[in-house]
Amino acid sequence: MIFLEFRALSTLPERVEEPPQEEPKEVPQRRGPKSTNPILEHRHIYPEFLPDPNPKWRNSLREKMERADMLKRRQQIDIPEFYVGSILAVTIADPHAQGKTNKFVGICIERKGCGLRAEFTLRNVVDHQGLEVRYDLYDPTIDKIQVLRLEKRLDDKLFYLRDALPEYSTFPLDMDPEILPEGTPVPVNPLKVKLKPKPWLERWERQELKGIANIEQYLTTTNRLNRKLRQTPWEKFDLMKQYRKTIPMEEQSDIWSEVNNQLQQLQMARKKMARKRTFTAPKTQLG
Amino acid sequence: MNQADVSKLVSKLRIKVKAEHRNLRNPKGPEGRIDKLRKTVTGLIKFERIEVNYNRGDEARQYAERLISEAIRHGDCHTPTMKMADFWLLEKELVHKLFKVLVPRFENSNVSFTKMYKAPKPQYSRNLEKAVLELRGNPYPDLFTKQPNNRLWIQNVLLEAAKHDYRQSKYAEIAQNMAKNEEPTQVNSEAPKSEIIEDIKTQ
Amino acid sequence: MSTNNLKLLCTKFNNLKINYVITRTASNWKPPKYRPPYWYMPKERVLTEDNLTQDNRMFIKEIIQDKLQAQAAMESPLENISQTETMQWTPGKKRVGLIARKIGNYPMWDKDGKKVLTTLLQVIDNHVIKYIPPENFKPMIHKVKQPQEHRRLGCMLVGAENIDPSTVTKDYCGLFNSVGMLPKRHLCRFMVSPEAALPTGTPLYATHFRVGDHIDVRAKTIDRGFQGVMKRWGFKGMPASHGVTKTHRRPGNIGAGGEKARVWPGTKMPGNMGNRWRITRGVKILRINTKHNIIWTLGVAIPGETGAMCYLFDTVLPLKKHKTSPPFPTQPPLDNLPLEYYDDSIHEFESPTISFEEI
Repeated sequence: MIFLEFRALSTLPERVEEPPQEEPKEVPQRRGPKSTNPILEHRHIYPEFLPDPNPKWRNSLREKMERADMLKRRQQIDIPEFYVGSILAVTIADPHAQGKTNKFVGICIERKGCGLRAEFTLRNVVDHQGLEVRYDLYDPTIDKIQVLRLEKRLDDKLFYLRDALPEYSTFPLDMDPEILPEGTPVPVNPLKVKLKPKPWLERWERQELKGIANIEQYLTTTNRLNRKLRQTPWEKFDLMKQYRKTIPMEEQSDIWSEVNNQLQQLQMARKKMARKRTFTAPKTQLG
Repeated sequence: MNQADVSKLVSKLRIKVKAEHRNLRNPKGPEGRIDKLRKTVTGLIKFERIEVNYNRGDEARQYAERLISEAIRHGDCHTPTMKMADFWLLEKELVHKLFKVLVPRFENSNVSFTKMYKAPKPQYSRNLEKAVLELRGNPYPDLFTKQPNNRLWIQNVLLEAAKHDYRQSKYAEIAQNMAKNEEPTQVNSEAPKSEIIEDIKTQ
Repeated sequence: MSTNNLKLLCTKFNNLKINYVITRTASNWKPPKYRPPYWYMPKERVLTEDNLTQDNRMFIKEIIQDKLQAQAAMESPLENISQTETMQWTPGKKRVGLIARKIGNYPMWDKDGKKVLTTLLQVIDNHVIKYIPPENFKPMIHKVKQPQEHRRLGCMLVGAENIDPSTVTKDYCGLFNSVGMLPKRHLCRFMVSPEAALPTGTPLYATHFRVGDHIDVRAKTIDRGFQGVMKRWGFKGMPASHGVTKTHRRPGNIGAGGEKARVWPGTKMPGNMGNRWRITRGVKILRINTKHNIIWTLGVAIPGETGAMCYLFDTVLPLKKHKTSPPFPTQPPLDNLPLEYYDDSIHEFESPTISFEEI
């Protein structure tokens, strides 16, 4: 009986809406985005410090232990800032290799996993043969990770390089590192690759990739029709889907404030090392 | 294990969110589900208190909370947020209500923006569970009667007395310790009324 | 004469009787025991609005806090005992176990650079609640008097995780109040040798086990609900095409005709999968954190999802039993323990990068 009464009330929206509309004071106040915490920017450089967003696997203590272990490993090896699209040289200890070390140069086509499971994949073409090597970021056999060219590409994952012409993923194994001046933002390489004709490993046309130049010339009418049928334009408005994929800001600021001190110390140490390297680099060239 | 998405920053919701979404069975699939929820979210923003099926209400509540928190975080000059509000609110005058009425109302609150109650249903009926979904600070009368002054109820009177005794014994012990001044013992005295408390609590 | 003939007839008829009746039961199937142990009390309570004032609510919280602090500050009763009489461990003796919570998995690397996945088990507020010696321990209460049975092992009740006493029943609280403890969320029994008995209130820590030991873990597996035979028993199913209709994930034939024209007991069929107690035996301990009481175990085969409770005890596998004396009856609380113990085979994250020497 009570509910009936309220339902009757709820059909009178006019009374609710009128009084707030008459407030002219609120209009001049410009509400921009709230000032965000600068340490939240760490999330782009160290994405693996954020836990898996699936609540079934969350546990605050385990995440804390994992972060502590990651920082311990980072004290031993300098893991530099890099992104998908950067070109890296990785040296690992390998009991089966000649000289017991193995070096591989390639473009990072994927970066995934969180915590100690974080991994990245390098791709290169050696002797006309495509090679991909997956490395664990915190593997203690990794001796050195060197960024040869720090840049981003137009997409988050570069798997389409497998179906692209081989020159787009060919990098010389003795490539020299390119040093960016300090303080410059990470450049985005607007390179668009050309795909080989079909057959392809995946249906690239359905993935809305920005880094492919010539995809339209290979598509049939059926392909175009299917692409249109399978589009999900509502997904970018699915607020909860986004929410379930991310770690909320409040939790992130807790995490980053916990590890911020040590990360900054590591950054300082790396900068010092970089400065030393720039001084010593010419000498080696002369010798 | 998957990496968290870092391209967007979202504020934390103050309500419980299930690990997985509900499909809300619909012949049109996920698109139909979103369409259904849009109607409910629009109704909630418009009427401020609605009665819906529990599952649908709970899903719509999460979307409404997210919409309001986005509006608070980015304000009305942020194009993506405006597009989002335009998508979710089917009646366009409600977009103004969201940014001009609800954002100032909830800007400084520390609790959730909505409330949900289970609605009564006939006993032994096989109807779907119903719920009442409302925005906080709505102009309607409260659904629950306000608590009367319950200080004089028996459990509160007994607890008051127990509290008094407990404090007294604590003070006495502190005084004793100060008087002794030898070795500070732990505050570990059993208050005489504490058994009563246990009785009341565990009944 | 007539009686003699009658007897003869009876014996003849008796010989005709078929007495080779096949018993139709699976040998490994036993009916479940639904009777709870006698010390068990119902725990769940219907929570109702108690109409307390805010002041009184705070007061009750304060009292619970005080009591918890008092219990935490209480010194272990083991400290006095271990000085007077030192127990000696011999291979046959059974120690008490621990109640732990599974908190997740993450990889570690061994000294050869091989990746191993580990499971983290956290031991939270474990206390000995009660010891029942073997002569008093009668788990089944029978209506008819049973012949005296000789028991070798006593029963040790161990509780884990403090809870608000007002959220459980009075009966359940009584179990703990009778021995002067505060109620715990989990209560479990371990069968122990009388020499390994511990006094009430003894705290148990992760250092009860040593790094490199093997343990058995008992826990409930993940509840997967009602599942078909392909998921539940790993059947192959049937082809997707080649004229197959409507039987792609079905079991196919479940019995033969003729004499055996029925479904044999124990046939693998669809049904509820998971949510059963299972024991993983011989799990190796790789690392122990003494501050947070975390145990890292090798592998991901510990039953249950993240956050599940599990019971840890010394393994019964003959080749993996203790070779040397473990902390007996348990490890007393010590202040100067190192923060972390690592197994010899495991690479510590603090230690430098692995490199291989040329031979």
